[in-house]
Amino acid sequence: MKGVLSNRIRTLRFNHGEMSQSDLGQRIGVTRQTIAAIEAGKYSPTLEAAFRIAAVFNVPLDEVFQWEGD
Amino acid sequence: MPFREKSAWLALIAILLSFGPYFAIVASGGIPMEGLPNMRMMGLYTVVCAVQVSILAIGHVCLRQASPVDARTPPDERDRALMYRCRTRAYYVLITGTVLVGCFMPFYTTGWRIVNATIFMISLAEVVYYGSLVASYRKQAA
Repeated sequence: MKGVLSNRIRTLRFNHGEMSQSDLGQRIGVTRQTIAAIEAGKYSPTLEAAFRIAAVFNVPLDEVFQWEGD
Repeated sequence: MPFREKSAWLALIAILLSFGPYFAIVASGGIPMEGLPNMRMMGLYTVVCAVQVSILAIGHVCLRQASPVDARTPPDERDRALMYRCRTRAYYVLITGTVLVGCFMPFYTTGWRIVNATIFMISLAEVVYYGSLVASYRKQAA
């Protein structure tokens, strides 16, 4: 099954007072580099980290991550 | 560059700088491998191990001083996922080496040839591990 996991983390960070990647990383317990890799679509986070990111922005999971594919 | 990637680079460089020359000397026949206990070969191996440990120790002290906060931070989920994937690759190299050295070499050779083949396969597995880790970090770098 082919598909792409995209995300709106960059937009959500911007809408939350231009939160930095470091700040978001600290709040969910990962490094700034991991947030950068998630944003760039180069690393797919665990389900737990994905829910934590959504919780930081106080939005449902599907507003942060979208699955595009078959 | 994150601390964990620098640490992987350091480990890769340390093993290449120490065991690279070692295997070059061994392959060139600089030290005869016949006879046991062969203190010259043992001496060379001891020096190489000391060089590797020194590079790692000095390098890690420098890295920790350069980024103390990063050094104290435990590996996160991405670090652990990368390490797991790279360990799997290195495991296949190591198990292949174990079969070749442990099951086949004793039928036609002895002594330091077997020891050096063992050291070579362990070093190769380490190079595969740290090499894959560095490549994975580079690939995921934004």
